[in-house]
Amino acid sequence: MASLRPILLVEDNPADIELTVAALRKTNIANEIVIARDGVEALDYIFCEGDHAARDGEQPAVILLDLKLPKVDGIEVLEKVKSHPRHRNIPIVMLTSSREETDVVRSYEQGVNSFVVKPVDFNAFFEAIRNLGLVWAVLNEPYPGGR
Amino acid sequence: MNVKVPTDLDLCAQEPIRIPGGIQPHGALIVLDAGLATILQASANAPEFLGFDAKAGATLDSGPLAAALTALRANAAGDPFLKPIEIGGKCLLVSAHGTAQGVIVEFEETDPDILASNPYPRMQRFVDRIESSQDIDNVLAEAAREVRDLTGFNRVMIYRFDADWNGTVIAEDGDGVLPSYLDLRFPATDIPAQARELYLLNRLRLIPSSSYEPVPIEPATSPVDGARLDLSDAALRSVSPIHLEYMRNMGTGASMSISLVVDGALWGLISCHNRNPMEVDARIRAACEFLGRIVGHQIAFHERRRESADRLALKRVETELVSHLARTPVFQEGLVARSQQWLKLTNAEGAAVITEGMVLTTGQVPPSDRIKDLARWLQGMDVDRVFATRELGKHWSAGRTIADVASGVVAVPISQRHASFIMWFRPELKHTVKWGGEPAKTVDDRAMRISPRTSFEIWKETVRGRAVPWSRAELHSAEDFRQSVVDLVLQRAEERAEMTEELQRSNKELEAFSYSISHDLRAPFRHIAGYAQLLKEEEPSLKDLSRHYIEGISQAAVTAGQLVDDLLQFSQLGRTGLKMSRIDMNKVVEEIQRGLSHEMEGRRIEWKVEEDLPVAWGDPSLVRQAMFNLVENAVKYSRDSDPAIITIAGSRNADGATRYSVADNGVGFDMTYVGKLFQVFQRLHHSDEFDGTGIGLALTKRIVDRHGGSISAEGTLGKGAMFTIELPDRRGENERGKLETDPAG
Repeated sequence: MASLRPILLVEDNPADIELTVAALRKTNIANEIVIARDGVEALDYIFCEGDHAARDGEQPAVILLDLKLPKVDGIEVLEKVKSHPRHRNIPIVMLTSSREETDVVRSYEQGVNSFVVKPVDFNAFFEAIRNLGLVWAVLNEPYPGGR
Repeated sequence: MNVKVPTDLDLCAQEPIRIPGGIQPHGALIVLDAGLATILQASANAPEFLGFDAKAGATLDSGPLAAALTALRANAAGDPFLKPIEIGGKCLLVSAHGTAQGVIVEFEETDPDILASNPYPRMQRFVDRIESSQDIDNVLAEAAREVRDLTGFNRVMIYRFDADWNGTVIAEDGDGVLPSYLDLRFPATDIPAQARELYLLNRLRLIPSSSYEPVPIEPATSPVDGARLDLSDAALRSVSPIHLEYMRNMGTGASMSISLVVDGALWGLISCHNRNPMEVDARIRAACEFLGRIVGHQIAFHERRRESADRLALKRVETELVSHLARTPVFQEGLVARSQQWLKLTNAEGAAVITEGMVLTTGQVPPSDRIKDLARWLQGMDVDRVFATRELGKHWSAGRTIADVASGVVAVPISQRHASFIMWFRPELKHTVKWGGEPAKTVDDRAMRISPRTSFEIWKETVRGRAVPWSRAELHSAEDFRQSVVDLVLQRAEERAEMTEELQRSNKELEAFSYSISHDLRAPFRHIAGYAQLLKEEEPSLKDLSRHYIEGISQAAVTAGQLVDDLLQFSQLGRTGLKMSRIDMNKVVEEIQRGLSHEMEGRRIEWKVEEDLPVAWGDPSLVRQAMFNLVENAVKYSRDSDPAIITIAGSRNADGATRYSVADNGVGFDMTYVGKLFQVFQRLHHSDEFDGTGIGLALTKRIVDRHGGSISAEGTLGKGAMFTIELPDRRGENERGKLETDPAG
């Protein structure tokens, strides 16, 4: 089995980071979890720029992307990734608090792979994260063009 | 006698009254050539009257007329000539005027005593009296009295023409010998057009005897032009035999009329009658004619003053009314609230306002449907500012059916796009006028083909379908009022537009606010629940009580999060559009039952769901939500009933609307509080008995409202509750939508 590719969690809220990581870990997912605290950091990681210029360029297995982010917001990150020929096949899951319909529509228009409204109930949240992890990090075959 | 006159009444209007071929017998007339030397024509009675052989062809160098000719030659051409001259031992009043057919000289006997009297001080006193008069009625009453004093007629009346030349007796003075004709109406045909023309030229006519025999002019045709002699300006002109017949039928032996001319038009007449024949001296007649001119000027003055006073008064009414309307949210209702002022604006008997098919009225008006028809017709007429008529039926044939209340109409359009009008109505004139002096019918009357009674009857026919005309002041008032209302409506529209803008802005703010609530407020609740859960898992050896506390924390956080979600959904409902489609309600109920399986665990519930619930039309997710809330409540509040019985029924109304009811045998509620049921955060049960956010029913009501439907509730404490929603038939909307998106279908 090839080495597990990392999961990129783009989230600015420390509590959400902690809880999401805890939830992922509880599912026994062994992938490395890379955390980006805003849109710029996320893009730097994905495109191997800035602080991540020296990175080996391995694509994340999945990007868990919060909608509302400092500097560059989630929708913009989504746009940039999905419009890039090399990166547009990275699965992206929008992870957000918002139930606003407009957001849902906007995200799907950009070709998001999944959209999860973070449930308040932790058990439900855990369920959601677990499913995400399984589907995207473990079961999903990487796109042949990626490494 | 060679005087030929028509006797057929219908020919009255064609009667050649300027060239009657004869004169009245109380004087004599000769026509002289321009050189005043030869008689061209003469009345048959001239030789006898003047005491010499005054016949056509006679020359006048010397003889009884020498003095008169000298005076005539001295008179500047064109000046009126009127002089007492002694001829053949008699004192005669000689008047003369030049015509194309020669100089017409008229002779009448005169009383030397009257000659000696000076009428001018008397005239002066009269002028002083009427000049201090405050209103026209007074002036006219004074004039009638003065003319009677001057002449001695039994009855003197003031007769006024209306716009159609019908006449009304508006003032009168009499000694009781003849009946009163005050308020009597005469049709225009009583004084035909050619007679009215003559009245303008010749301001005074005297008929000393209604039974006179006309004296012919000899020869009948003028040697100058071969035509009959034009007697337009002759005081002795013989009048129509029809007129004499009328006079006799009125029981009058003598009459005189003085024209009242205002601004160059015939306004009315001072009409004098005597039972017996009587003479009026030419000098007195001159004084009367002068009086008529003075009265004419006074009338002009008073009419102008009255018009400006009327306009001022109406303006005041308008100002008051408009300022009231400005304070009323709906101007139409403001009009109705101030009915009296509304009617006063044009002195109407009825008024209506038509806006967007809504008709509000006051006073005497046609039925609403007719008013709407009228508005539609007016819309087609493309009325610019004011439409006014006193005879609606003449312009709009359908108007004849409403002539009794709406012969007179003033309408002003108040919208450029819609058939919106303010209208005023006046009833048919004959409904408003009575002749006070109408005598009882007698056999004699009926035998008469012309008489005041016949006149009055004819007049009634003439004015059928007509109302009192609208005055200039009233029409101005309607037009000004229209402008004010249009401004007001425009101002309202602007205010509304501003308000809409404001609302849109605050809606946007609200949207932004709810977005941030959704995102920011929900997160902490999730964190609390998450950490509590993690804590519980990290410390499996917690005491039971501690575990219970943690359980409480996560439960509270979940509830708070749920509350935020519900509130958001509630606020979102007002902002998003409905996606209408067909909804299979039986399927919806099944889904709801499945969704509630968790809540129903360990309970005995007897479901009575109608097998064929009618199909609903609406936004599927919203209607499902509404039904879900009702069923969830039924399940929740029947928790303590064993078995719980939940009945779901449906029906379709005649108008296509569908009704669904959800009933349970649970705790029910007190009908006293039914009004609170559908309000946000209103709960009829303590939260420790039944959990919930207090938003469910408010949300359901809002969903139903958005669909244009209704919701109702019935309940008995301890027995159960039943909620019914009704959704209107909105199939059409869906079909339209389908047509637009599916051109192939």
